[in-house]
Amino acid sequence: MVSVAVTGKGGTGKTILSALLVKFASKTGKRVLAVDADPDSNLPEALGVEPEKTLGEVRELFQMSRDDMVSHDKEVWLEGKLMEVIYEADSYDLLVMGRPEGAGCYCYTNNLLKSILRKFMSHYDAIIIDTEAGLEHFSRQTIKDVDYLLVVTDASMKGFRTAERIRDLVKELNLDFRGIFLVANKINDMAKKVIEDYANEHKFDLIAILPFDEKLAELDLRGVPVVKLNGESELVNRVEEISGMIFG
Amino acid sequence: MEFPFEISPMYEGERIRKSDMYVELGGPTQPGFELVVSANKDEIEDMKFTLIGPDLNEMEEGKAYPYAMIYRIAGELVEKDLEPVVERRNHDFQNYIAGYMHLNQRYDIWIRISKSAVQKGLNSLEQIAKATMMLFKNELPFIEKIEATYVTDQAEVEKRLEEAMKIYEERDERTLTLHDEDVDDFYSCTLCQSFAPTNVCVISPDRVSLCGAITWFDGRAAAKVDPEGPNAPIPKGELVDEIGGEYTGVNEFAKERSGGEYDRIKLHSFFEFPHTSCGCFEVIGFYMPEVDGIGWVHRGYDAPAPNGLTFSTMAGQTGGGKQVVGFLGIGIAYFRSPKFIQADGGWKRTVWMPKSLKERIQEFIPEDMRDKIATEEDASNLDELKEFLKKVNHPVVTGIIRDVDGIKITDGWIEEEEVTEVTPEEEAQALQIREQPQIPSMQIQPMYQPGYQPAPQMLPAPSSGVIKLVLKNAKINIEKIIVSKEKD
Ligand SMILES: Nc1ncnc2c1ncn2[C@@H]1O[C@H](COP(=O)(O)OP(=O)(O)OP(=O)(O)O)[C@@H](O)[C@H]1O
Ligand code: SF4
Ligand SMILES: [Mg+2]
Repeated sequence: MVSVAVTGKGGTGKTILSALLVKFASKTGKRVLAVDADPDSNLPEALGVEPEKTLGEVRELFQMSRDDMVSHDKEVWLEGKLMEVIYEADSYDLLVMGRPEGAGCYCYTNNLLKSILRKFMSHYDAIIIDTEAGLEHFSRQTIKDVDYLLVVTDASMKGFRTAERIRDLVKELNLDFRGIFLVANKINDMAKKVIEDYANEHKFDLIAILPFDEKLAELDLRGVPVVKLNGESELVNRVEEISGMIFG
Repeated sequence: MEFPFEISPMYEGERIRKSDMYVELGGPTQPGFELVVSANKDEIEDMKFTLIGPDLNEMEEGKAYPYAMIYRIAGELVEKDLEPVVERRNHDFQNYIAGYMHLNQRYDIWIRISKSAVQKGLNSLEQIAKATMMLFKNELPFIEKIEATYVTDQAEVEKRLEEAMKIYEERDERTLTLHDEDVDDFYSCTLCQSFAPTNVCVISPDRVSLCGAITWFDGRAAAKVDPEGPNAPIPKGELVDEIGGEYTGVNEFAKERSGGEYDRIKLHSFFEFPHTSCGCFEVIGFYMPEVDGIGWVHRGYDAPAPNGLTFSTMAGQTGGGKQVVGFLGIGIAYFRSPKFIQADGGWKRTVWMPKSLKERIQEFIPEDMRDKIATEEDASNLDELKEFLKKVNHPVVTGIIRDVDGIKITDGWIEEEEVTEVTPEEEAQALQIREQPQIPSMQIQPMYQPGYQPAPQMLPAPSSGVIKLVLKNAKINIEKIIVSKEKD
């Protein structure tokens, strides 16, 4: 099992990169799980699917109905609900995390979910997690046990700063990843050099420079799922390379 | 018996996708259930398997079928109470089988069998049943004999499900009528010690955890599955105080786990050695000396309670794993307990709760108290609350006779006579002590806790000889007050 979380500043292309990684990883016959960990969920749209339920809803349902469970086993109950939430696409499964927990104590619920998710996820070859912009989710469960962190940035100072902060936070929280990689996105020729210099100077492992893609921008604007992007394009080829590097 | 599939805990949690599925049993579209019942040893033929209805190799690929799994178990140590504990393990053991996904429990079971398992030679439910029975006997050695009947015939599943439903209901009934005195062990939970290091949750049949998530049954199940985990049995030891719910075992445990921070806990008491709170509680109880009653407010209610404080303000004072007299954090399901703060009068001491909370637990409030407990619609401050309680003749007004033992624990409000004017001095708190020797200790004690605001008006009223004390910015801690008339 190899898992990767896609992080970075808002609007840099995390969701699009995640969706394309799901597409390429599942093309090779691997068992793929896509996880939408952004409460403002839009990975399903990028993938062109419509899952109905979220894990967040299950969590709330559990908080509400647990008093009436009498002698039902709560872990078994939660596991069954998790399985109902999983959306089966043709070649991969999708889990939408939904909104984060509300007020109240989720210690026990999250403790149960942690062990359920650990068992469940262990059966996939590739797990791709699309995260919400910013750093908040680092304190949450999902991101702690992943193998690789992809940090997406565009050609902006803000994107770089977020990347640096993510790397600092990882150190601070003592998170142990097998690798943290920088992915530069929407880059034109002019910006290429700047990005490379920046990565060098700040000792970032820059694994890909993705160009701005007119066709993709157009698809997105017309509301067509980005995974429908076909034909040869530099963007597609580069993402396929990333997929190969990470998932083999 | 050789099985054409692997058996290992490694396979737990594996999803069998629709496209890999040979058949589905039970689940969203078909009836299904699993049941374990105990029997006498001579009634059981060990490892016998009976199938009623079509077997796997007679099923059509891609379809869903009804499914019942009924096990009968026997052994010296097998007793009725173990049935649900054993039944729960069917889920675990069947998920050890590669290519067999078992979800949910009781009448909700949902099974998928994978195509690849069938390709490898799985062709009969007998193979599944034999493997499961073998696991039962290996992992739970107190099971000496076991037999299994699996049913895939629609009519037969439905017929037997009806009988099974009765058994589940009886079990739930037994669960609800299981009390602290019926068990030897309570369970602890230390999940929250990371942020409330001295907090120890004690979970008993009559007291759900204060976060509302863990019942005694959950604690027992968790402790069985993961003895190193956050839930451990607490041998309850000797009974110290039956009504308060104090046990030597719990006290020792509390002392040890809190690092000596406190050494006594009474599970069903509000004032004396109350359970600690880690801040996770669903509801907080607060004592209002002015009416000598207890109010409760839940996390979802943002407005201030009649004492002028909001849930979060009170929670801030009470969380952190300390015993704070005058406040108590509980789980909503504790309102269902027949021992609900019984030492301090239970429902008879309860004077206020938000409407939404009251509605949620309505059916568990004793009928004669239902209309006597105010909500924000009846009272949002102490004056209104006082009026309301008087109007409905709440037990706190006349004095509470405790249900458990018929003892009168509070004297009630002593009729107020003309209230003497207190000079309104800035930041001054006026306290009137009158010649009235029988000041009920229950009323006094919480009021004089350090940091507590003494409440002037409600002290027992006199008939003559008023002494007026004006205290400025005072913290008072008084063990005993003796007020006597000077002898002539
Ligand atoms: N390489 C690219 N070429 C052209 N357009 C792109 C490219 N990458 C991303 N976009 C566009 O940028 C926008 C943001 O992309 P996306 O939703 O993937 O970002 P995000 O990082 O997931 O955003 P958020 O932080 O809001 O979740 C989209 O409209 C997308 O079409
Ligand atoms: S509040 Fe709940 S989760 Fe936390 S320690 Fe107590 S029982 Fe455990
Ligand atoms: Mg996104």
